Amino acid sequence: MSENKRQYAFFLGCVAPNRYPGIEAAAIKTSEKVGIELLPLKGASCCPAPGAFGSIDLNIWYAMAARNLVLAEQMGMDIALICNGCYKSIWEVNHKLKHNDELRDGVNEVLKEIDMEFKGSIDVWHLAELYYDPKIVGVDKIAESVTRPLTGVKVGVHYGCHLMKPQKDRHFGDTENPMWLDELVAALGAEPVQYRNKMQCCGAGGGVRGYDLTHALDITNEKMINLQEVGADALTEVCPFCQLQFDRGQLEIQEKFGIAWGLPVLHYNELLGLAQGMSPDELALDLHAVDVEPFLKKIL
Amino acid sequence: MAEVKTKEEPRIGVFVCHCGTNIAGSVDVKAVVEYARKLPNVAVADDYQYMCSTPGQNKIRDAIKEHNLTGVVVAACSPRLHEPTFRGATKMGGLNPFRFEMANIREQNSWVHMHQPEEATAKAKDAIRIAVAKAALLEDLVPKSVPVEKAAMVVGGGVGGMQAALDLANAGIKTYLVEKNPTIGGRMSQLDKTFPTLDCSQCILTPKMVDVYRNENIELLTYTEVEAVEGYIGNFDVTLRKKARGVLTTEEAEARGYVGGGCNGCGDCEGVCPVIKPNPFEVGMAPRKAIYIYHPQVSPLLYTVDFDACVKCGLCVDICGDKKAIDLNATDEFMNVKVGTVILATGYDIFPIEEKTEWGYKRYDNVITSLEFERLICASGPTGGHLVRPSDGETPKRIGFVLCAGSRDNTGVGKPYCSRFCCMYSLKHAHQIIEKIPGAVPYIFYMDIRSFGKMYEEFYYRIQNEGAKFIRGRVANILEDPVTKNLHVNAEDTLLGRPVDVEVDLVVLAAAIQPSAETERTRRLFGVSCSQDGWLLEAHPKLNPCGTTTAGVYLAGVCQGPKDIPDTVAQAEGAASAASIPIHLGEVELEPYFAQCIEEKCAGCGLCVNLCPYSALALVEKDGRRVMQVTEAKCKGCGTCGGFCPGGAIWMQHFATPQIIAQIDAFLLGGEE
Repeated sequence: MSENKRQYAFFLGCVAPNRYPGIEAAAIKTSEKVGIELLPLKGASCCPAPGAFGSIDLNIWYAMAARNLVLAEQMGMDIALICNGCYKSIWEVNHKLKHNDELRDGVNEVLKEIDMEFKGSIDVWHLAELYYDPKIVGVDKIAESVTRPLTGVKVGVHYGCHLMKPQKDRHFGDTENPMWLDELVAALGAEPVQYRNKMQCCGAGGGVRGYDLTHALDITNEKMINLQEVGADALTEVCPFCQLQFDRGQLEIQEKFGIAWGLPVLHYNELLGLAQGMSPDELALDLHAVDVEPFLKKIL
Repeated sequence: MAEVKTKEEPRIGVFVCHCGTNIAGSVDVKAVVEYARKLPNVAVADDYQYMCSTPGQNKIRDAIKEHNLTGVVVAACSPRLHEPTFRGATKMGGLNPFRFEMANIREQNSWVHMHQPEEATAKAKDAIRIAVAKAALLEDLVPKSVPVEKAAMVVGGGVGGMQAALDLANAGIKTYLVEKNPTIGGRMSQLDKTFPTLDCSQCILTPKMVDVYRNENIELLTYTEVEAVEGYIGNFDVTLRKKARGVLTTEEAEARGYVGGGCNGCGDCEGVCPVIKPNPFEVGMAPRKAIYIYHPQVSPLLYTVDFDACVKCGLCVDICGDKKAIDLNATDEFMNVKVGTVILATGYDIFPIEEKTEWGYKRYDNVITSLEFERLICASGPTGGHLVRPSDGETPKRIGFVLCAGSRDNTGVGKPYCSRFCCMYSLKHAHQIIEKIPGAVPYIFYMDIRSFGKMYEEFYYRIQNEGAKFIRGRVANILEDPVTKNLHVNAEDTLLGRPVDVEVDLVVLAAAIQPSAETERTRRLFGVSCSQDGWLLEAHPKLNPCGTTTAGVYLAGVCQGPKDIPDTVAQAEGAASAASIPIHLGEVELEPYFAQCIEEKCAGCGLCVNLCPYSALALVEKDGRRVMQVTEAKCKGCGTCGGFCPGGAIWMQHFATPQIIAQIDAFLLGGEE
């Protein structure tokens, strides 16, 4: 192992390993090539999902997320993760516990039962923000790692709500018209396209999908309309849960509304994997609901 | 030098107030009085429902005489509220008013320990014991009177500052009106019409501007800023920076020997000037030259050279000819003025609404602010009063108004407060487009309509009847159609309970306001506090809204908090009245909390001189040696010198070391067994 690699505790989450194992594989392999080593966070549970758990019992949400944080504290490493939902839970609980002694004491009271204590000694990062940060990786280094530029394709970028909002508790600057993920896409040789209502939700988050599927799909469908308007060849995001909604959601849209969009949806790590020369098989792209083949034809 | 009192047997009276149930609700007043009675030096202890009432005060007066008291302690509310009252009562009883000490058992006790009666009672006993210990050592003090300079200064020449200056001047007081811009008039001169009467703003303002300019008691100092402030109420010594204007008035020209010269406002210079800059008066939507006036009605009618833009080609100097009004080598000048009182009227700026990125100001052509709307709808504005879309110059038909744009906003980006006049001017805007553009429809996105003033609610109904569409809901975001440049305003209609997407041709953001850029610097110069949001802090929000905690400095208009024109003018008249009182009295009493030098102990080291934040101390020769001397009128009694003096040679009147030690001892060594 090269000595100047940065090591992070890799928090997998639930959706990526269960639904899109290619994202997990891509995250580990692509990060390796830009100087980041992801080590398994052994014993980790669900983040837990911010909408599902947070809206029922905040204390459970805090305690479970804190347990995951303590596991990383015990490894003495910052956490890196690949999902916006996980980011919302793990990053935000870490942030809250570090800034609210009362909350921290309450959570530690619960953790005591399993001989754990939250100390607040680590930070939490989305892998994409590590890629963008010039002090860690930076856009240039991402571009240097590319062996198969994705030239000639238009890619729409979806940031996702849980990553960017609420803005006063985040550190990404402009949350209404951000461009940093677009820059990371451009570094792969693809053309990031600007589309109407770019910051719109995928439709699934915050329990919307669970509560009212038709409404959730309505939002997803609008997103598809706006992407088609600018001729996007694919949509990329940094959240397996958004990916699930955009990808499998297209089948549901076809079923319910009778519209077949056929827009390939790839996690940024899958896109990066392709650009770094990984094969579609390695990335398990055949597990996507929407056929990725038309997109692959343009780049391979 | 303070007299060291000869030993007299202290006889203290303690008076405990119930304040209805405010205090008695959690403090056992009877027990406290019993306790006080047994304290050393206490001659009498009593309680009463309301000590501040006339019978309460009479109790103090009578007890002083009856028990031959040497000091009085009242345990009640904060001294900020009733210290003057009880000092008065002490004086009525024939004692020096500074023989009074107050123990706060309300704000710092009963109110915060509402549900802890035992602890509250114990704490009240402590507070009284401490106050009695100090009261036993209090001395007679005499407030010092200082003469008041018969002049005033108003900082800021908007409608509030102008009104304050006019009132002062008309009361016979010489008034300096300081304005940083080249003309007076302020924000109000940028407005087209005023609500709810729909008067033309300039038409009602320009007569006042003329009055100010003509008033013999007003010295109008435009393009001038406050540079430094020294002194105190009655004797402020203010240094002003007259920014290099490059253009001479007729008086200034005559002083240079150019009789009949100076600027007459002809504007020939502007005609030949080759440099073009955006005019800030038109919010940058119209050009001005490097030598300019804001608009035709400026007061004084005097051109100004923008030396940051001027290329010194000299064309203006040539065409000005014999008037010799232009001096391209001008530099900033400084002047000193002495004034007795000061009114701050520094106004507001528009919050940089592009920071609320969801509404796309500065990103989408057809999203403008209300101030830009005012200039565009104004007949003397850049488009001659024709409202146009910035993207294509077309007349908009569907216009969205976003209220509370950055106001009442707790996201961390906007302002938490209500900017207070946006509802009303947006209603006025709606009226103006309906009146001017046939078929135009205003869509007003609002949280609440706050039509709080006289005839305001009636105006609201009028605009509803004229056909404006009201949508109750905060605008989530605005999206631009890239082809038509139309805007989709997305909001939740909270009355219908569903999201709406309204396509409009133009969006007007009723942007929040914030203190003007110079407010922070100016307030520091005058030692005025501000609240968390930057607005200047009044002495009391209800009972002293024009005063500040700095004696002799008063507030007028929006600098104290958002308010509309009538409220600004009313406050300006209040501030002028308050600021004229010390001037008419001719002298003011200063609290006698001065530092005093105990000369036998002073080693003349001078360390205190450098420490004093008010430059009140100096070293002087006395009997062949150096000792420190206090300028009492400058001393604020902060105690910095007294705490530092290595020889213990500084006596802080009313907060003397023995008094404070006695208080500490009483706290640490006293208490119940």
